Amino acid sequence: MTGRVIVITSGKGGVGKTTTSANIGTALAKEGYKVVLIDTDLGLRNLDLLLGLENRIVYTIVDVIEERCKLKQALVKDKKNPNLSLLAAAQTRDKSAVNAEQLKEICEKLKEKNDFVLVDCPAGIEQGFQNAVAGASEAIVVTTPEMSAIRDADRIIGLLNTKEEITSTRLLLNRVRPNLIKNNEMMSVDDVVGILEIPLIGIIPEDTGIITSTNKGEPIVNDENSLAGQAYRNVAKRILGEEVPFLDLDEPKGFMAKIKDVFAKLKAKV
Amino acid sequence: MGLLTNLYNKVAKFFRQQEGAAEDEASKSVATSRLKLVLMQDRTNLTPKILEQMRGELVDLLSKYLEMDKDLLELNFEQEGDQVALMLSIPVIRAKDEDEIEEALSVQRNSEDESVETDDLSDEEEKEEEYIESIDSEDDSEGIGEETEESSSEIDENESNLVSEVNEGKKSKKSSKKNNEEYIESIDT
Repeated sequence: MTGRVIVITSGKGGVGKTTTSANIGTALAKEGYKVVLIDTDLGLRNLDLLLGLENRIVYTIVDVIEERCKLKQALVKDKKNPNLSLLAAAQTRDKSAVNAEQLKEICEKLKEKNDFVLVDCPAGIEQGFQNAVAGASEAIVVTTPEMSAIRDADRIIGLLNTKEEITSTRLLLNRVRPNLIKNNEMMSVDDVVGILEIPLIGIIPEDTGIITSTNKGEPIVNDENSLAGQAYRNVAKRILGEEVPFLDLDEPKGFMAKIKDVFAKLKAKV
Repeated sequence: MGLLTNLYNKVAKFFRQQEGAAEDEASKSVATSRLKLVLMQDRTNLTPKILEQMRGELVDLLSKYLEMDKDLLELNFEQEGDQVALMLSIPVIRAKDEDEIEEALSVQRNSEDESVETDDLSDEEEKEEEYIESIDSEDDSEGIGEETEESSSEIDENESNLVSEVNEGKKSKKSSKKNNEEYIESIDT
């Protein structure tokens, strides 16, 4: 078996890379695929928290590289889904503890026995980014509809374009707020895609449920009623090649909104 | 009575919010256009000043042959793979006829001759400053494109301006080319 290695990156921090990695990984595992998540954010690891696995980590990626354990020993199985496992980052080391060649080797080994290897990339464009990208053949660029995030995403897309091994780069637009877009206070999905000019793989609405799901250490894809969870499940399906329409994020209009519309139209006529 | 004023205030506020929403339309489009500009700089390593200069010179060049809506000119760098493409979009009102083109070209030739004669180092610096001023203010009546459309009697007055533009033009071409090369190098590594 030769699995697919997908790096999840963004440039800017705090746009939801780790949340995205945890959710896409969980969603793919729920579909029945064998998935390994690699946290490459050395010194600032968080993927273990989002999956609720922080108490189970014995060995990290640095232990594997420095041959203190076997690769298999360092993989932590998810509590709910045996298809999903995590290779955690070392919390006490920095990014120089690993180089691109070593990470590439780990990805090569992991893809032999898994359908998907998802690499959670650290923020920035330095060594950490170069490491995370090294073994990947596909990339998902996460951004939010904010100027700073989009600018950094553009930079990352430019860098990914120079990597021959990366054959596909797709955009995941996170923390979209439909009511702000409706009032023209936030850039729309079309605006962002028009600027970055790469294919879209998902639109994730802002969802307060993300906070509670992080608190509990349980990815939001496990919540069948969450809109963000649904959006992440759709991303997983698109990765698997299914054509899934993007969620219609326009909330049904309330009574007051309708009345406002009527008055706005009347006013426009006058 | 207090209740009524309260009610009135609430209703008034309700409609004010509606107006406010329309004004906020700017906020998103401001973000989009700021972002487009900054990405253009990021993608090419060109400074805003040089980009503006390039835009001015393109308008200058094209208006010899075409009458166009200069305000709607859109300049954009698009990145595909490791190559950057320059996309220029500009609404053409009409193509100029041969006489007009000939006239515009002769103005340029005259000014080039002039520049050879009056090439003087100390003067040049002054002229450069003049030029930068003229591209900074969009509505400047001495704006680059308009000069070619003016009658020949007025051309003499503007000649010194044109001279400096031509001089500056040569320089900026060099520097922007250098920047592009730098950019390509940075991609290759």
